Amino acid sequence: MAKQRPSEQLDKIVSALLGRPDAPISRDGASRPFDPSVGSVIEIVRDLKNLPRADFKARLKANLERRASMATLAKAAPEFRASATPYLSVRGASAAIEFYKKAFGAEEVVRLMQPDGRIGHAEIDINGAKIYLADEFPEIGFRSPESLGGSPVQISLDVENVDAMAQRAIAAGATVVRPVANQFYGARSGQLRDPFGYTWAISTRTETLSAEEMQRRIDAMSKQESAAPPEKYMREGFHNITPYLILAGAAQWIEFVKQAFGAEEKFRVGRPGQENVIMHAEVKIGDSMIELADANPQFPAMPCTLLLRVSDPDGVYDRAVAAGATPMEPVSDKEYGSRGGTVVDAAGNRLHISKPVGPGNKIFADFRSVTPHLYATRPVDLMEFLKQAFGGEEIYRAQMPDGSIPHAQIRIGDSIVALAGGHGMYTAMPSTLHLYAPDTDATYERALAAGATSIQPPADQPYGERNAGVRDPFGNRWFIATRLRDVQP
Amino acid sequence: MKAPAKEPALPSGGADEKLLVEAAQKDPARFTDLYEANFERVYAFVSRRLRTRADAEDVTAEVFQHALANLKNFEWRGVPFAAWLYRIAGNAIADRWQRAAREQGTAAADDPPDPHAGANPEEVERRAQLFRLVATLPGDQRRVVEMRFAEEKSIDEIARELKRSAGAIKQLQFRGIQALRERIDKSSVGRIPHKKAAGKLAKKLGGRNG
Repeated sequence: MAKQRPSEQLDKIVSALLGRPDAPISRDGASRPFDPSVGSVIEIVRDLKNLPRADFKARLKANLERRASMATLAKAAPEFRASATPYLSVRGASAAIEFYKKAFGAEEVVRLMQPDGRIGHAEIDINGAKIYLADEFPEIGFRSPESLGGSPVQISLDVENVDAMAQRAIAAGATVVRPVANQFYGARSGQLRDPFGYTWAISTRTETLSAEEMQRRIDAMSKQESAAPPEKYMREGFHNITPYLILAGAAQWIEFVKQAFGAEEKFRVGRPGQENVIMHAEVKIGDSMIELADANPQFPAMPCTLLLRVSDPDGVYDRAVAAGATPMEPVSDKEYGSRGGTVVDAAGNRLHISKPVGPGNKIFADFRSVTPHLYATRPVDLMEFLKQAFGGEEIYRAQMPDGSIPHAQIRIGDSIVALAGGHGMYTAMPSTLHLYAPDTDATYERALAAGATSIQPPADQPYGERNAGVRDPFGNRWFIATRLRDVQP
Repeated sequence: MKAPAKEPALPSGGADEKLLVEAAQKDPARFTDLYEANFERVYAFVSRRLRTRADAEDVTAEVFQHALANLKNFEWRGVPFAAWLYRIAGNAIADRWQRAAREQGTAAADDPPDPHAGANPEEVERRAQLFRLVATLPGDQRRVVEMRFAEEKSIDEIARELKRSAGAIKQLQFRGIQALRERIDKSSVGRIPHKKAAGKLAKKLGGRNG
């Protein structure tokens, strides 16, 4: 038999090995002596049976590359650090950067300019603390404290030496909001306002305290405070200004405010023999007191306007109407920052029922549950009188181009009087107000000097107060009082 | 007299490999370098322990995917990286055997065979070298060897695909395998007594018929 070519012989072996791993090579092939060159490669053929596919190797590589890139991303995640950086909108960012350099030793890190010359973005570094700032861009709603009337956010800046830093900042033009002092929370700190309207709380840590310890100190302090006597010249529970309503039908009115506003009757004195006629009563709505009395020949009825701050103007308005008030202006959203409506009660009082919204939260921030609201024909003059006579401080004034005043606020002591020019259906409406002053005589004299006329000169009263009465040039009556001693009502 | 035991012929695990591992630990994208250096070894290790090509490919993929995901746990102690891969591979194969045994309801799950048994590192290394050498063959021989062994095609299929005669394909196969034999003999890991092995195999193959 012709000898097989080595390549044929080898292929028989290959075929046998590939076909079944342990199959014997056919008798025909195996019985012949192997060509030596064939025999020496059998081991290799056997191993080649497991030769990996080239495309498997390539696919697995691509798969691993994909996994590796995902692993890189996953690995990158823990390196991400969340950060929050104050971003100040400033009117005059360039000047602000200079100020922060002088005041806080800031370093300018980045400054990007807009074509119009405004700073579009800047970064400063205050001893490692990052602050972003830019000029204000009102066209995109990026407004500065100057155009908003202040900033509700303050920047807390930890420094090495708060006293030195505060001195430096004040020298650079910052104003003191709260002087530097030791604080219960383990720091020495103070608050400064920069010329651009931002408040900085600058502090240096003096103690390391747990939150529990801080809370303990707060609780201890508030106990002390509540134990401290109130301002001595005011009755407890009262503020500097209390509306005093002189009404026809005071008793009915008390029922009305109980129903409509959840008022609480605190005190009532009836006329002897005529108990249904109220000589003096006090009700509390929320955190505010209202005093009232029935009208009499000496003091005829003088309803006034009250601004009631509520959380649910729609509901309260409906309750007031249900309790007998007459709708005057239904509840709506007011562009200046409130939702509210107005009713007139049976005694003739005008009651604004409203809730601050948006910017109103700032404008009406210090309003209590009840704020007296004066409508005057000459509001600017009235404001001037309140400043001169009672040391009032103008804290808000909206003035129209024609000079009219739709809303202004004067702070007297711890209270605010809202006022406006009489307009449309909101006609001028003189009121009676009860004013606690440290020295009735001095305040009485100042009021007269400012143009008021005397209703009643200062005199001690049996109920433990010294008081006086004046009428201001705009028709409002003021009862000025100083508490002398505690007398049970 | 018995020759002193030889050091296992695992890749040396020298400084270069250490650098590759450290680079990949820092940047997973560099893992492909380790893959390229070890693919044939792992495949050689697992393919001899599993029945089918699909199983071998699955386990090889598992081994490298596991190695990539756990690379940060690999501590360089001078042990070759391949040894770590073999350990992963051994575990993966054992899992597979146990699973297969459970699925077949046999008791083998309680007493699985040792997946590391017979893992003669020299042999694995030699087979891996053989796989790598295929890529160094002249184009035609390489194509024929790959199609015949890796893609499991018949001589006729290959002949049709490459538009050559069956005889020519057999000749290319023969020359390719001869070339591999020569090259592996020259390479450092190829020093195994082919003749003896071939003789044993021939005896085994033929013996059944005797």
